[in-house]
Amino acid sequence: MKRYILAIAAAVLCCITASAIPSRPSPARLVNDLAGLFTDQQETELERMLVAFDDSTSNQIAVVTANDLEGYEASEYATRIGIDWGVGSEKFDNGIVILVKPKTSSAGQVFIAVGYGLEGAIPDAYAKRVINDEMIPRFMENDYYGGVYDACEVLMKLASGEISQVREYEEDDEIYAIIAFLLILGLILYVLIKANKNGGSGGNGGSRGRNIYTGPIITMGNDYSSWGSSSRGGFGGGFGGFGGGSFGGGGAGGSW
Amino acid sequence: MKKGLITLIVVGVVLLSGFIWIKNAYNNMVVSDENVQAAWAQVENVYQRRADLIPNLVSTVKGYAAHESETLESVVSARAKATQVTVDPTDITPEAISQFNAAQGELSTALGRLLLIQENYPDLKANQNFLELQAQLEGTENRIATERMKFNEAAKAFNTGIRKFPDNIIASMFGFEKKAYFEAQAGTETAPKVEF
Repeated sequence: MKRYILAIAAAVLCCITASAIPSRPSPARLVNDLAGLFTDQQETELERMLVAFDDSTSNQIAVVTANDLEGYEASEYATRIGIDWGVGSEKFDNGIVILVKPKTSSAGQVFIAVGYGLEGAIPDAYAKRVINDEMIPRFMENDYYGGVYDACEVLMKLASGEISQVREYEEDDEIYAIIAFLLILGLILYVLIKANKNGGSGGNGGSRGRNIYTGPIITMGNDYSSWGSSSRGGFGGGFGGFGGGSFGGGGAGGSW
Repeated sequence: MKKGLITLIVVGVVLLSGFIWIKNAYNNMVVSDENVQAAWAQVENVYQRRADLIPNLVSTVKGYAAHESETLESVVSARAKATQVTVDPTDITPEAISQFNAAQGELSTALGRLLLIQENYPDLKANQNFLELQAQLEGTENRIATERMKFNEAAKAFNTGIRKFPDNIIASMFGFEKKAYFEAQAGTETAPKVEF
């Protein structure tokens, strides 16, 4: 009872006062270890796993650790992060936020916030089970990474059963690249044909025209292809960014 | 003749830009009004979700604590009262919201008392069904908090939009009225602390 009176009070309060929720990371990252619970290597590994999952199924799992919840309920804090950062895609609202507040002088808290679109795949009871079975036993032994990693694995299995769609922007990029390529090809042909026609009147003038026109077009073509390949390169490495998903307060929490 | 034509064009341009301004401002208000209504529908949804859990909860508790009939009855009657109070989403006034809030708040208090009695009944406390229901209730309260927050944000966006100059002229022309907010119920901050 106390919990939900507090939650409601916090909801109203945060409309009045400026929110103290951490702002969206820039550049966008899925693993935000603000409490410093993971080693660099663990962080990279977790990030890589979650980015690969995002790329292959479009479900986004954001992991946030914080030493201080600024007086918020864990549920409130995690849900706000999900909404403010826009975890998950706008179309499916398929984001998950895993919030871990390590045990310090106060009790440790964990919350898994589930976006609207995944509430069917991960009901509150499932989230609760993940917390009680995978996370808290390991957290008690100070194995924060192990708990979070295993929780992510279970959540990934649950989430991909519901929504599993390869990121759309990859296909889009390809289409844009093809269109751009065709356009450029058309332009070059057009210029060449025109130059040929003009060529009759004076070879000198024609060749100058070719130099002037093809130059910038070719550079533009290069720009396009490098832009395309860099964002496709994101498939293996960097995270493409949060998609604007929304949360309705679903999920479960626990403390130890 | 030529001067007349120029005047005509100027008047035409002024009228056209005036029309475009009114159209844009009006349409923005309609969109933001719809957002508030959608947010309100979500608020009612999650409260309904809570109301739907209650019969199950009451019957589970009854099995273990039949002689707590007073507490059980107060939950049932508070639920009946709360489900009767609805707010017309096209007319969200402060009175309507505070009425709604009061009825739901009463239900929250009754529920809190019901959950408190589990301390006296270890069998109930250990009942799997009861634990499950309690977890669901907790999740629903989280959702209520979130949807109330979202509603307040939508209402705030709408209210800001209709009060900004010069759009406020159009708002009053078409009769857009300020939406009410959810406020913490008077006394909830000092309500008796009840532990699960």
